[in-house]
Amino acid sequence: MLKQMAVTREPPLKEPIDWQVIKACQQGDRDALRLLFEEYKDRVYSIAIYTIGGNEAVAADVTQQVFLKLMTRIGQFRGDSEFTTWLYRLVVNTCLDERRKQRRFVPLAEFNLVSKTQRDTSQAARYAQGELAAHVQKAITQLKPKLRLPILLKYIEGLSYEEIATVLGCSKGTVGSRLNRGHKALAKRLDWLPGQFVVGE
Amino acid sequence: MFTTHVTRKFSAYCHDELSPEESRRVAEHLIGCTRCRMEFEEIKLGVKWAEQLPRMPAPDSLSPEIEAAFKDQPVRNAISPRRPWPLEPRFAIAASLVLFLIGGVLFLRFFRNEVQPSWEVARLEGAPRIGTTRIGDKGKLSVGQWLETDDSSRAKIDVASIGQVEIDPNTRVRLVATQPTEHRLELARGRMSARVWAPPRLFFVNTPSAVAEDLGCAYTLEVDDDGNSLLRVTLGWVSLQLKDRESIVPAGAACATRPGIGPGTPYFEDASEFFRRALTKLDFEPNDTQSSMIPALDIVLHDARPRDTLTLWHLLSRVNGNDRARVYERMAALVPPPDGVNREGVLALNQHMLDAWKDKLESTWSDYPSSMKILKKL
Repeated sequence: MLKQMAVTREPPLKEPIDWQVIKACQQGDRDALRLLFEEYKDRVYSIAIYTIGGNEAVAADVTQQVFLKLMTRIGQFRGDSEFTTWLYRLVVNTCLDERRKQRRFVPLAEFNLVSKTQRDTSQAARYAQGELAAHVQKAITQLKPKLRLPILLKYIEGLSYEEIATVLGCSKGTVGSRLNRGHKALAKRLDWLPGQFVVGE
Repeated sequence: MFTTHVTRKFSAYCHDELSPEESRRVAEHLIGCTRCRMEFEEIKLGVKWAEQLPRMPAPDSLSPEIEAAFKDQPVRNAISPRRPWPLEPRFAIAASLVLFLIGGVLFLRFFRNEVQPSWEVARLEGAPRIGTTRIGDKGKLSVGQWLETDDSSRAKIDVASIGQVEIDPNTRVRLVATQPTEHRLELARGRMSARVWAPPRLFFVNTPSAVAEDLGCAYTLEVDDDGNSLLRVTLGWVSLQLKDRESIVPAGAACATRPGIGPGTPYFEDASEFFRRALTKLDFEPNDTQSSMIPALDIVLHDARPRDTLTLWHLLSRVNGNDRARVYERMAALVPPPDGVNREGVLALNQHMLDAWKDKLESTWSDYPSSMKILKKL
């Protein structure tokens, strides 16, 4: 279901889109919308595919729904919060709606190995990294949604606890508590991995 | 003091989401609370796994679908009605200007986010340099940068919020990494003194012949031009490692390292001169034909006091056959093994037995009451 594909790991950019672009989008500027789409499509898709459980087709559909909603609702965005916070709330709600429609998660077994295009030069290192990423992906998708979403927003999007709290509609303390439980669950699920996979200097 | 556990704050601690006061409280609690420290190790592992989570690229097929939607979908404007396009030349100029500004903003934002994390450096004496630039009273040491002092310079580094390092003259250090789960320096040559109040296993120093891993302590570490190093611990514990060779060094003890060999055997600095010289031969000159290993081991065994079981305990796994049996006999004479630890198991290097004996020996390895209190809590 999920093909082997290149994966990017960039430093999270919290507000890569300027307010001027957002205003242009609000005024119907299709170039600005394209810019917005290009900037956020991977982030939205990443949240979607991990939340949905690895189903590419559903994740692509959710991504499309998010941008369609964005087009019709961006006029409601008045800059009271960060644009990313507003966008991720839209993404999370769309993902959760989709899950409700499906009634249950898509089976996870086909969440396959993912390779990374990255700095490692040796093939063995690339393989090990890809294998590790695949194990982590699978473990993430097996977490309960309420533990999974804070992890995705933290590690995929680089949001602060306050931003995650705003997106999820909970307190910062709850975010910390859920991340704690998520981290512990990940450590337990992946404790069978050999030590050399633990990244360190 | 340790009744209020801090486990709920561990993720926030790792992500630097706590106030400085809360961070300090968590760090202090971790030093003294075994239960919380075990849980913290688990959280740190979870953080490391989560950091491996890759971002997934959206499929190319998505773009045409969205493009079609852009064309078909009417855009609602909640703020102001869409204005008609201006005249062509004015529009071209304005659009160019907007694009230029957007590009500039994007570039600046990207550039800002690419800035490496750094540590504060303060000049103590002379003119320390970061890279080729002399620092004034203060400077910033970014990941990958070298801090260098000449023969009349000294500097102090704030290691994130977990400790301080003083850099002596003629020293060269590089910041290798700084993140919530790991802070790492490289000491290429010279001498540094570290005081770390973070939980164990957060601060590391790479040297040409071993890696020093902080276990909650204060120590000095020096490296000569040949890459040999000497660690002297003044509080707590430090681990020295190279591949599968590890030396655990408590307060009052020292340990030398050599390139290609790694850490030698730790010894208390108040051990006899003969003891220390013999140990150097055992560790780093095993093929010395002038004086064989046997006499060197004889001296070590003869001069060993109860607290020198620190040295003997490490030697158990570093000598073989009859020599290991002799080390065992001497240790047993100085501090008998606890129940459940026997000669056969120790000679077979049964790790459980070695650890059990070490636990008992630790009480003889320090006469520094304050550090002992910390050690027992660890």
